[in-house]
Amino acid sequence: MMPMQRCLIVSFTVMLAACGGGSGDSAPSTPPAPSAPAATLSAAAQLGQKIFNDSSLSASGRQSCASCHAPDHAFGPTNDLSAQLGGANLDVQGFRAVPSLRYLGQTPAFFFASDGTPTGGFNRDGRAQTLAEQAERPFLAAHEMANGSKQAAVDKLKQAAYIEQFRALFGAAITDNADQAFSRMTFAVQAFEQEAPEFHPFDSKYDQFVAGKVKLNEAELRGLALFNNPQKGNCAACHPNARGADGSPPLFTDFTFDNLGLPRNKRLAATADPTYFDLGLCGPDRTDLAASHPELCGAFKVPTLRNVATRKVFFHNGAFTNLKDALGFYVRRDTNPEEWYPAGADGTIQKFNDLPLQYRKNVNTEEVPYNRKPGMAPALSAAEIDDLIQFLGTLTDGYQNP
Amino acid sequence: MILTKKLMAAALGATFLAAPLAASASEAELLARMEKMSAELEQLKAELKASMQKTNELEKRQQDMATAAAPAAPAVTLPTPVVASVEPSHTGPVTILSGYGEINYNRPTKDASAAQADIRRAVIAIEHRFDEKTKMVSEFEWEHGVVSASDQGESEIEQLYIEREFGGGLRGKVGLFLIPSGLLNTNHEPTAYYGVERNFVETAIIPSTWREVGVGLSGDTDAGLTWDVGVTTGFDLGKWDATSTEGRDSPLGSIHQEGQFAKSRDLAVHGALNWRGIPGLLLGGSIFSGKAGHNTEGFAANDARITLYDLHARYTPGLWDLSALYARGQISNTEALNDTFVGSPTPVPKSFDGWYTQAAYQLLKSGDYTLSPFVRYEQFNTAKSYAFVPQGLGVAPTPDEKVTTVGANLKVGEGVVLKADYQKFKEDKSRDRLNLGMGFAY
Amino acid sequence: MRYQPLLALSACALCAPAFATQYLTAEQAQQAIFPDATTFRPQPLALNAAQMQQVEKLAAMPARSVNWRVVGAYKGDTLLGYMVLDEVTGKFELISYAVGLNPDASVKQVEIMTYRESHGGEIRLPAWRRQFIGKSAVGGGLSIGDGIANISGATLSCTHLTDGIRRIAAVAQVMLKK
Repeated sequence: MMPMQRCLIVSFTVMLAACGGGSGDSAPSTPPAPSAPAATLSAAAQLGQKIFNDSSLSASGRQSCASCHAPDHAFGPTNDLSAQLGGANLDVQGFRAVPSLRYLGQTPAFFFASDGTPTGGFNRDGRAQTLAEQAERPFLAAHEMANGSKQAAVDKLKQAAYIEQFRALFGAAITDNADQAFSRMTFAVQAFEQEAPEFHPFDSKYDQFVAGKVKLNEAELRGLALFNNPQKGNCAACHPNARGADGSPPLFTDFTFDNLGLPRNKRLAATADPTYFDLGLCGPDRTDLAASHPELCGAFKVPTLRNVATRKVFFHNGAFTNLKDALGFYVRRDTNPEEWYPAGADGTIQKFNDLPLQYRKNVNTEEVPYNRKPGMAPALSAAEIDDLIQFLGTLTDGYQNP
Repeated sequence: MILTKKLMAAALGATFLAAPLAASASEAELLARMEKMSAELEQLKAELKASMQKTNELEKRQQDMATAAAPAAPAVTLPTPVVASVEPSHTGPVTILSGYGEINYNRPTKDASAAQADIRRAVIAIEHRFDEKTKMVSEFEWEHGVVSASDQGESEIEQLYIEREFGGGLRGKVGLFLIPSGLLNTNHEPTAYYGVERNFVETAIIPSTWREVGVGLSGDTDAGLTWDVGVTTGFDLGKWDATSTEGRDSPLGSIHQEGQFAKSRDLAVHGALNWRGIPGLLLGGSIFSGKAGHNTEGFAANDARITLYDLHARYTPGLWDLSALYARGQISNTEALNDTFVGSPTPVPKSFDGWYTQAAYQLLKSGDYTLSPFVRYEQFNTAKSYAFVPQGLGVAPTPDEKVTTVGANLKVGEGVVLKADYQKFKEDKSRDRLNLGMGFAY
Repeated sequence: MRYQPLLALSACALCAPAFATQYLTAEQAQQAIFPDATTFRPQPLALNAAQMQQVEKLAAMPARSVNWRVVGAYKGDTLLGYMVLDEVTGKFELISYAVGLNPDASVKQVEIMTYRESHGGEIRLPAWRRQFIGKSAVGGGLSIGDGIANISGATLSCTHLTDGIRRIAAVAQVMLKK
């Protein structure tokens, strides 16, 4: 027995207070907003909805956010074009395939995790820190709504039917300053994307299955097993499909980046120039990492797989137009490269031909399923790919339990 | 008859005149008495003086003895005769600091590069007794040496409860306390068990050190039976991670809440009975049961119920220390949840169990060194069976792991123990290892 | 269903009598050990150096105290035996106990007067205390593992109490034996 030692007690309390917590999640895990009818959107979000759907805000007068991010196609593209056409006459091709705008609300701003993994950010190269920032470029870019300057965009806004509502919310003099008015436009679009329940419905067959309310059919269940199995599809490693410990539903992305070594897509006009390379984290759209992190060149953001079955164009360069080819590429990229890449003049297969020579070593060849060598069996057979596609079909929102 | 003032005055005067006469007669008496009393007083003074002298001599002798003899234990050394009830030396609030720690070294025999030394745990316990009936028990632990955001250590509160005596042997507890399951959970100091590492059955099946938040009641009977009942928090099946191996190492250990924002919509009940009617023999068992879904929105296993029960015996005839234990856990209604985990390596098991027998013998005792070799055989399975999964997409149950541990504890005095043992695994032979450890408890 | 156990618990708590970590007073202890006695006389002991050493040798451990609280039990003028009062630490708290001794310094009875620890209350069981009866310091059998069985989960309390009783038996052997 020893008498109580006060200084010991004080130092214990201090030590306890200083203890690090358990492993933190890199993504902020706020639960999704409950679905609310449109009437309960904030004033800013209501304006954002109008701006989102307003084609008059483009140089052509025929393109709005909704043209490429169609609300009835999970806010993704409606066609199989590798990149959509924009500009004043809707004839200028873009550079990357349009991603879905659904389920982006939890994406953190870009950062490097403690183990060095680049994480977060919006756009396929993570260069926009917020949804509002991401909304800026499409208004201005020559291959999109082509306004050329913020002033031009704001001038069009001043002609919109809802301009008085805009001024009522942000101030009567807001449109006098183009920078401020433009930032309020994108702010309103962000509010719409964050608040409107149609951006995060979580009502797919898979969500209902995870809640125990519905059963998957046999093919879908086999597909899920392949999705989860670390030796088969191993998809869950980057596209996590489990509920968070706090009960948050899965987003099917861990917000990190991966370099798949996709084949160069001739349907992108820009690739006609042999010196053009889309290096994702290293450029051409972002230039802050190329010098310091050459190992990241060629890596692009892991997108959500929710609603993937509604898409007709896949990966950043639109290399494939159907899921069967996309999954086939994953498992047979290394076992049958001739299926995917062209042969050079001397007959050798030009593997990873969408990357300059010095960056081809960055391609991910470590993780299942694309860790095979020629001659090895692919991780999935054709029948298994079909099952996996069936499972991916359960990730489409709007499932009605019959 | 009217007493005139004159008459009264005369009467009074007569009385006063008579007083001195009467006084002088009893005065002599008084004086004699006073003389006698004076003499007695002198005698008492002399006696007191002698008594005090004697007491001084005794005290002097006692002092001499005290310096010559061994240091006194906290017993009261009263020179006065025995009176009424004996009160313990502390009457006011008392705070007691105690603790234990263990540092372990493991060396897999087939992979020397995996050898490691680890401060397994360092624990400080503070027990504060408010009064005869009420005390506070707390235990704080640090594991693996360093705790920070980038280190692997953990600091935690292992116990934090108030215990109150109600009388008749009845005691109540409220707070974070240890569940009375098995032999090790409530008696887990390194000086209390054989072997460097705690046995697998009572770490993988019974998730020692297992504590929950709640209320408990316990009591003794004259026949040697101790009973415990309680209502506490339980487990959270929503924490199950089918992609990690934690659930395979210890199913309940991977989903325990430990009073950390513990989901409490589903509480658990537990009961334990331990009989020590025959000296040297302990027979007992426990049961713990509670649902683990907490009505969570969008969770497929809100109906799952986790039950863990154990039976144990310990017998210490002479210098032998023999013990045996069987524990079994069950999780019901896991089908829908496991369907969502198809293809993942660690779905939720339907049952998991383990048992062990152990024999130790106090071989040598020399001074305050005590050497006790022991042998333990345990068999356990953290995934004994799974609920049905369609199309054979589930995971096959693993075979039981069987571990034999042979070693010895060397106790130094009462509070320090040095341990060494060798563990042989039947299924995963890469885990065979030599262990050395140091532990203490005070 | 969930609330029934709580109700049962609270019901038990409310109907319990006065607390009982203090099981016996000294008077009750002496009565329990010597029910036939008519008088009890306090006969405190004070050991000198030589006696302390003898006790240490007999008990195989430090003699600890010079002074011992001893009560002689008499039936009329016949000495029935002695009761020695003492305290030892269990795990953290004091255990007050009384050892009844026969005139030949063998143990007659052991009574536990105060026990506060949360575990190990089984030392109060008659079966456990009976292990000491008839044993003496010279006869042996007064150690854990060598005549006295341990109580699982209360090793420290058992060991300290057994050591205390063995010490008292040694003191009785040296000082009180007729």
